[in-house]
Amino acid sequence: MREQVVMVGDDLPLIGVLCEPDTEQNAAPKVAVILLNSGVIHRVGSCRLSVTLARSLSEHAGIATFRFDFSGIGDSDARRGTLTAAQAAVDEVQEVMDYLSRWKQYDRFILYGLCSGDFASYRTALSDSRVMATIQLDGYCYMTWKSYVINYAPKLLSLSRWAQFILRKLGVRKQKKGAEVSGIEERYFEVPGFAGYPPREEVREGLQQLNERGLRMLYVFFGNEYYVYQRQFVDCFKPVAFGDNLTIIHRPHATHILSEPEDRASVVESITRWTRQLIHQPGV
Amino acid sequence: MLEAFYFGPSESYLFGVFHPRMGVDRNEAVVLCNPFGQEYMRAHKSVRRLAINLAALGYSVLRFDYRGTGDSAGDLQGVTADHWLEDIGHAVQEVMDMAAVGRVALVGLRLGALFAARAAADFSGVSRVVLWDPVTSGARYVEDIRIAIADAQAEGSRSRLISPDGALHFNGFSMPAEFQRTLATMNLNETLPSLNIPMAQIVSHEAEEFAALERHLGGRANFYAELAPAPHNWNYVDHVGGILWPKPVIDAIEQYFDQTPILGQGALCANRS
Repeated sequence: MREQVVMVGDDLPLIGVLCEPDTEQNAAPKVAVILLNSGVIHRVGSCRLSVTLARSLSEHAGIATFRFDFSGIGDSDARRGTLTAAQAAVDEVQEVMDYLSRWKQYDRFILYGLCSGDFASYRTALSDSRVMATIQLDGYCYMTWKSYVINYAPKLLSLSRWAQFILRKLGVRKQKKGAEVSGIEERYFEVPGFAGYPPREEVREGLQQLNERGLRMLYVFFGNEYYVYQRQFVDCFKPVAFGDNLTIIHRPHATHILSEPEDRASVVESITRWTRQLIHQPGV
Repeated sequence: MLEAFYFGPSESYLFGVFHPRMGVDRNEAVVLCNPFGQEYMRAHKSVRRLAINLAALGYSVLRFDYRGTGDSAGDLQGVTADHWLEDIGHAVQEVMDMAAVGRVALVGLRLGALFAARAAADFSGVSRVVLWDPVTSGARYVEDIRIAIADAQAEGSRSRLISPDGALHFNGFSMPAEFQRTLATMNLNETLPSLNIPMAQIVSHEAEEFAALERHLGGRANFYAELAPAPHNWNYVDHVGGILWPKPVIDAIEQYFDQTPILGQGALCANRS
């Protein structure tokens, strides 16, 4: 494995690190994994997950990876423009793909993201047929009747939950959001400004389109009140028939930032194994 | 324009970002020394901003990741505190070469301050050291993590724990036993008195260890201290990776470098709070 720092673009470049397997271990010379930022965390990823995963993919799956900072995040300077952050993210992933295609002759890409990173990977996959697969951690998903029952039934029986609910409704207790949760003054604390989820029907149509295209999708969900059982994703987006295109991993005891060492190691190993199997399939 | 690159030995390569000076030439470069673990994640934006601001003042700046952290080589398995000191030495040499200067100031945040002070004692060419919310004792730092882990274990935490090999797992980052052992030998109160270079302690809050350090060194003409109140919750962990942005203390460090160029050491005896 070897790594090199790359600056993509002449003016206000995007800063990234290319990690390549040794030549004799390169299992997919035409394919690269691109790892995207999560929120405002710089490209090393939450708890250094992106670095660990990038190196595992290169060493154990034999595939090149590129982790980089979107403009305005981490080491990449902000760029002026009228695009929203979501639109700019797609543009910048495509800029990186163009750059890597010219430089290293990669012609297909696997996009990886956690949280806002997977929203960007989903949107880019819709816009660009060079994307052959996505690896999404806590990606778009919505409640189903079953998840409502699993999530809310225990709460209905909890007196303290009822008390909190009533206090919130009466305005006595405020539900904290964003920087408020930290107790740190907002001007001294930067949290991602997430756009709301798109309507479920829109995502369903997008996934249907990607599925018909043959995009391979690995979804990993962690423990939270919105994703509560293994097949929730499938139920959520019925009638899309994902078949072999979809793999779901549910780690109900892991947190969104994967600060648990056991879960982090397990997720890295699972993604590496899935990617290795993917790139060893005929035609890849 | 900044330059991002790898440097140092091939087996323990280091990620660095060089910010070339703009405008006047202060004839001194700066190396920024990171804190550890989740604190490093929280501080990345602040450290980058400080680098940009110092470069605008006329100081070329190198910020970098120690081995086993960030984008640098490997993980912390087999790494000791002495290795991180070596890394600072590589960074000092690198910035001297890139900026073509013979003097380098070290600025360290939290654990980075403890390392910066030791590196100042170990490497020639270090012109001064700035301690930003310093960790004053490696042993106490390790002990505080152990206490936090014990408290968390009582509540069944899966992210704060000690593994059978003695490694501390705290907020998503691991510190192996050997690193703890070597870190525990480092203490600012033992290191700083031997330094014969200007020193500054710029802090975001009041704490007994900061006050003790000031009492210890306050009588020296080349010691500067300033309190710039700002948030300092470096280990606060939320579920979205929020970033701390303590602008007042960043500004204070910038002003210190602006108002006290190394050639004007006579101004360094003033203390502000």
